[in-house]
Amino acid sequence: MATISSAPAPGMQQIDLSKLNLPQLAQLKQQLDQELNVFQDSLQTLKMAQGKFVESGESVDKITPETKGKTILVPLTESMYVPGTIADAENVIIDIGTGYYAQKDIDGARDYFKRKVQFVTEQMEKIQMMGIEKSKAREAICMIMEMKIQAQAQAQAQAQGQSQSQKATRS
Amino acid sequence: MAEEIQRKLQKELEVLSGVQKEYHKAMAQKQQLDSQLNENKAVKEELMLLKKDAEVFKLIGPVLVKQDLEDARQNVAKRMEYINKEIKRTDTHISGLENKQESLQENLNKLKNDLGKLKIKA
Repeated sequence: MATISSAPAPGMQQIDLSKLNLPQLAQLKQQLDQELNVFQDSLQTLKMAQGKFVESGESVDKITPETKGKTILVPLTESMYVPGTIADAENVIIDIGTGYYAQKDIDGARDYFKRKVQFVTEQMEKIQMMGIEKSKAREAICMIMEMKIQAQAQAQAQAQGQSQSQKATRS
Repeated sequence: MAEEIQRKLQKELEVLSGVQKEYHKAMAQKQQLDSQLNENKAVKEELMLLKKDAEVFKLIGPVLVKQDLEDARQNVAKRMEYINKEIKRTDTHISGLENKQESLQENLNKLKNDLGKLKIKA
């Protein structure tokens, strides 16, 4: 995530948006924009991870007991394969993270990938919720900025009108 | 007199930007540690789910080496302990940097005020 914490930390106070002036509001809006971008990137990455896990789960389904003894092509490098036969159609070795691999049977492997897909989906939902909150805050800031700009324009027009009427009365 | 304050202001600004850079670095490190901790948590859970006779391998370079399940579990637990310690250390570092930033900002504001007052007098 970004260097800006996206969850309300215990040290943060509630800032009344209407008390901030324009440059401060602009800065805050920029901050929120950055955070939203980070959320988008994270969602993309999570989606890719989800896709990979789903693919792995489907591949496991393809290794059934009937495939035992069938010829397969085993990749040795990016562009070189050697023919081989499936010796064990009951177990697969799965990458569980931090350099560890575990051997599981077909059902266990399918279950593992299902769990991973669920985990990733949950994380995606969490991020989506946070993203919605942030965009709501951003919209509120935009509205207040517009109000302030209008108020400023009105004040300027009034000031000009006053100075003009003063000039008129003097002359 | 004003020049002196100007110079002080400049120096304080430099110090502040240095502290800010350190702060960003520390935050990035904390995030990395956090993600490592999460990954190890997931591995620990998976290892817990494995039956006693299941085989565990560790990737050392290009080789998958067979590991003992208990050894692997302990290894991951130790790694998590280490990461937790690192996270605590980084957290204290980060709050220290935050405090420094605040006091530097206060100094800067005071100097700016002083400079402003001097300019008004002149």
